[in-house]
Amino acid sequence: MKRLFRAATVAAVLLAAAPVKAAEITVCIWGSLTGPDALVNGISYAARDYLEFLNQTKGGIAGHKVRTVLLDGRYKLDEELKNYRRCVDREQAVFVNGWSTGAAKALRDQINQDAVPFITQSGAGELVDPKNLPYMFIPGPTYEQQIIIALRAAAKSGGRRAVILFPDNEYGRGPTGIVRQSGEAEKLGLKLETIEFPFDAQDITAQMLRIKAFDPDLVFVQGSTPQVLVALRDAAKVGLPASKFAGSANSLGPAIPKQLGAAAEGYRALVVFSDFGSQIPAMEQIKQFMKTNEVEKKDVFYMRGWFEGIVMARAIEAAVAKNGGKVPEDIAAFRKSVRNEMVGLKDVDTGGITPPADYSNHQGTTQARVAVIKNGEFVAVGDWFDAR
Amino acid sequence: MNFALQLITAGLAVGSVYSLIALGIVLIYKCTGVVNFGQGGFLVLGAYLTYALRAAEIPTPLAVVGSAAGMAIVGMAAERLMLRPMARAPLVAIMMATLGMMILINAVCLMIWGSDQRAYPALFPEGALDMFGIFITYNYIAAGTLSIGLSLGFLAFYRFTNLGLMQRCTANNTKAALAIGIHTGNQNCFAWSMSAALAGLGGTLLATLNGLSLGLGSIGLAAFSVVVLGGLDSLAGAVVAGLLLGVLQTLTAGMLTPILENFLRAYTSVYSVGALQQVVPYCLLVVILLVRPQGIFGRKGTERL
Amino acid sequence: MLRHLSPTIFAVLFTLALLFVIPWLDRYATYLLISVAIAAIGALALNLLTGMCGLINFAQGALMGVGAYTAGNLGNAGWDILAVPAAGFVTAIASLVIGLPALRLRGLYFGVATLAAQFIVDYLFKILEPITHGVSGLPIRQLRVLGIVIQNDRMFATVCVLSLLLAWWAMYRVKNTDLGRSFLVVREGEIVAKGMGIDVAHTKIWAFLISGFFAGIAGALLGFNARLADPEAFTLGLSVDYLAMIIVGGLGSLTGPLLGSLFVTLLPEAIQRVAESFGIASLLSALREFTFGLLIIVFLIFEPRGLSALFRKLMFQRDARNRKKASYLNNSTQQPQGEETK
Repeated sequence: MKRLFRAATVAAVLLAAAPVKAAEITVCIWGSLTGPDALVNGISYAARDYLEFLNQTKGGIAGHKVRTVLLDGRYKLDEELKNYRRCVDREQAVFVNGWSTGAAKALRDQINQDAVPFITQSGAGELVDPKNLPYMFIPGPTYEQQIIIALRAAAKSGGRRAVILFPDNEYGRGPTGIVRQSGEAEKLGLKLETIEFPFDAQDITAQMLRIKAFDPDLVFVQGSTPQVLVALRDAAKVGLPASKFAGSANSLGPAIPKQLGAAAEGYRALVVFSDFGSQIPAMEQIKQFMKTNEVEKKDVFYMRGWFEGIVMARAIEAAVAKNGGKVPEDIAAFRKSVRNEMVGLKDVDTGGITPPADYSNHQGTTQARVAVIKNGEFVAVGDWFDAR
Repeated sequence: MNFALQLITAGLAVGSVYSLIALGIVLIYKCTGVVNFGQGGFLVLGAYLTYALRAAEIPTPLAVVGSAAGMAIVGMAAERLMLRPMARAPLVAIMMATLGMMILINAVCLMIWGSDQRAYPALFPEGALDMFGIFITYNYIAAGTLSIGLSLGFLAFYRFTNLGLMQRCTANNTKAALAIGIHTGNQNCFAWSMSAALAGLGGTLLATLNGLSLGLGSIGLAAFSVVVLGGLDSLAGAVVAGLLLGVLQTLTAGMLTPILENFLRAYTSVYSVGALQQVVPYCLLVVILLVRPQGIFGRKGTERL
Repeated sequence: MLRHLSPTIFAVLFTLALLFVIPWLDRYATYLLISVAIAAIGALALNLLTGMCGLINFAQGALMGVGAYTAGNLGNAGWDILAVPAAGFVTAIASLVIGLPALRLRGLYFGVATLAAQFIVDYLFKILEPITHGVSGLPIRQLRVLGIVIQNDRMFATVCVLSLLLAWWAMYRVKNTDLGRSFLVVREGEIVAKGMGIDVAHTKIWAFLISGFFAGIAGALLGFNARLADPEAFTLGLSVDYLAMIIVGGLGSLTGPLLGSLFVTLLPEAIQRVAESFGIASLLSALREFTFGLLIIVFLIFEPRGLSALFRKLMFQRDARNRKKASYLNNSTQQPQGEETK
C-alpha cells in the first residue's frame, strides 16, 4: 500500500509541469535526428547552431540569451505530435521549428489555436495559405513550384516526354498529384507519366526499367536525398544516364555524388540555398562557430537551417524591440508579435545563403538556381530566377 | 519480350539474396524449432561489419570473410545467451525474443554508425554487360552468382558432410539424436552461427546492390513469405522460393502495376496502386497458407506446436 | 486492505483518482496520460487474443488503423461519440475476417498469416483513397460527446480514462465467465480443450470478435487524439509495440496489459529525460531502441510472467512474511492466503 503511494508520488513528480522561468526566449526545434530522412537533418542542427552562435557572440537576441530545445521527431507522426505539445506547453517556445508535411497538416488547427509561429520543413503548397494558416511558414519554394520549374526547363530545351518518379508517401503523392491535375505538363507540350515506388524500397529496378521503356527526356524525382540515391543507383543498373534526372532542393545532398561516383554525373537539382563552403558572409559566421563548436553536418541542408535560424532570430529581435527591448511576459502576446514581425520581414540579408528574403508570402524565398553534378560535386549554373 | 527478360534477370538477382536469408531462417527452424524473426538484424549487422572492416583498410575478401566470422560469433552468442535460457518457453515468447533481438541489433548499429545512408565500398568492379539487349551490371551478376553459389554450397554441405548429417539428425528428432550421442546443444549453436553468417553475407551482398542503411533489415520480414512459400523445413524450398519471389516482385512492379493502373484509371477514380510489389508476396503468402500451408516443398504437419 | 476490495471497486476508485489529477497536469503530461490509456485499451485487447487465447497476432496495428479510419469517417459524418463503439464493431468484423481463414492454422503459421494481414491492410489504407484519403491521412474532426465538443487534451483524457475503465471492466467480466476460462484452456492445448467439450472454433471466433472490438476502440481514440488517421501510424512497428506491452506486462493476466502499456509508453520518455540531462541527446533514439529490445529479451528470459507477477510479489511479499511470522507465533497450521487472480 505504502509502496503504491510512493510510486504514485514519483510518477506525479515526473509528470508535473516543471516551472519555466518567466520571460525567457525559448525556441523549440525538432527534426529527423534519426529516421529514414536523417541525411537531411543538418537543417535542424543548423537552426539550433545559429541561435547558439548568437548566444556565444552577441549574448543572444537583443542581449537576451536564447534557450534552444532540439528534439528528435524520428519521422514518426506520433512522436512529432508529442514534441509539439512539449514545445508549446512545457517549454513555452515562442517559435517552433517543425519537420514533416504530415505533422504540419495534422497540427494545422492546433497551431492556429495556440497562435504559435511555426516553420515546417515541408514544401507542400497547401501549407502556404496566409489567410487560413497565418502562423505557418515554409522555407523556400513549394514542391509543386519546383516540379514545374523542371518541367518548364525540359520543355524549353526541346523535350517531349517527362516522368515524375515519386515515393508512395504524402511527400511524393501530394505534389505529384497536384502537378498532374493542374495540366501544366500538357500546356508545355510534354507527355507526362507518373511512376510510384515504395518509400522505403531498397530496389526499384523494375520502375527504372519502366522508365527506360518510356524513354523520357526528363525524370523528376519528387523525393529527398535518400530516394534520389536509390533512384540513381538503380538507374545505373539498367543503363539510364543520370543526366536525365532532376530533383528538388531536398536532393542536393553531397551523399549523392559521394556514394554514387560516376553514376551521378549529370544529375541536376534545384538550389535554393547556397552550398556549404561557398564564399559568402554566412560561411564566415559558420567557420567562426566551428572554431569552438562541433558541427554535425557540413552540407547545403546545414545552410538552410542557418537561414531559418537567421529569419527566426530577426523576427524575435524585432518583436523584442517593439516591446522596448524587454522580453514580453505574456507568451501569447509574444508569439503574436513574433508572427507579425515574421510576416513583415522584407529584404532580409541572409548572409548570401539566398537572395534577400521576404516573408510576406510566408515562403521567405522563392528564388532558385540549378546545380549539376560535375566531377563529383554540385556546381551551380545559371542565375537565380523566381520559382513562381 | 526483352523488357520481361530484363525484369526477370533483375528479379533473379534480388531473389537470390532473399534465398540466402531464407536459408538461414529455415536452417535455424529445422535444427531448433525456433523461427528467427530477427534475421533482418543479422543482415544489417553483417553489412555494417563488412563496411567497418573495409573502412579499416582491410582488403575486400578478408573483410567479407571477417564479417561472416563476426556474424557467426554473434549467432553463437545469441544462441547461448538468449535461446538456451528459454529452451522451455512457449513459442510466443521465443518469437518475441528474436524480435527483441532484432530491435537490439538495429539499435546497436544506430548507436555505432548513425542513421545516415552510407556509400558502400565497391566489392566488385564497376561496369556492365550488355547481352542480348539485356543490360546488367557486374555488381548484379556477382551478387546473384555469389548468393546462388553460397546457397547451393550450403545445401551440398548439409547433404554430403558429416556435420551436415548431424544437423539433419538433430533437426529430425532431437531426442533420438541425443540418444546416439550427438551434442544437440552444439548443433543448435552451429545452426545459429551458420545462419547468422549466411545472413551477414546476404546483407553484404545486398548492400553492394542497394547501398548501406538501416532500412536493409526490412528485407528480413519479406523473407518470411519466402520461407512459408518454400516450406518451413525445406532448405531447397527456400532457395527456389526466394528466386521465385524476387522475379514475382519485379514482374509485378514492371508489368502488373502499369496494367492495373491503366485499368483503374479508366474505370475508377483510384489513380495509383502504390507499393504493389511489396504487398504481392504477402498476398501470395496468404493464398499459400490457405491452400497448402506446408509450402511448395514442405511436408505436412511439420510445425511443432 | 486493498486486497480485500473487489477489483471493480478498486478500479473505479483508481479511475476517480486519475480524473481528479488531470486538471493539475500540463498538456504534455496529459498527452502522455492519453497515450497510456489508449495503449492500455489496445493491450487489453491483444492480451485477450494472444495472452489468454494463445493466438499470436501481428496485425494489431492494422486493426487499430481500421478503428481509427472508421471512427474518423463516422465522426466526420456526425456520429459523435457513437463513432467509437461503431468503430469497435467494424474492427471486430475485420478481426474476424483476418482470423477466420487462419482458424485452420496453428501457432507459428497463424502468426505469419497475421503478419501478412498487417502488411496487406496497411497497403489497403494507402490506396483506398476514397475512404482513407490515402497517404495524406484522413483529417478527423474533433470528438463530440452529447453535443459537447472535446476541445482540449484534458477533456479528451477524461474520455480516454473512462473508456479504459469500461474496457477493463468488460475484460474482467469476460475473464470470469465460461468463455473466458475456455480461452485459457484453448491456449494450453486445443486437443485438451476439445476433450473437455469446448467448441474450439467457437471460442476462437469470440476471441477475435472481442479483441477486435477493443482494438477498434483504442484505434478510434487514437484517431480522435491525433485528429488524423495516417497509414504510417498503423504499421508493424505498432503491432510489435503492443506485443511488447503484453509480454512485459505479463501474458494472460488482467493487470499485465495495464502495467505493460504504462511501462512501454513511459520508458522512452524517462530515457529521454535522463539522456537530455546528460547531454547525449544524439544517441537518444538508439538508446531508446536498445533499452526496448533489451527489456523484451530480459523479461522473457527472467520474468516471463511479466511485470504483473513482479508487482504481485512486491505488493504481497511483506504481508506474506507477516502472516508467516504470525503463524509461527501462534503455532497455527493456517496456510497463507494464495495469490488471487485479479
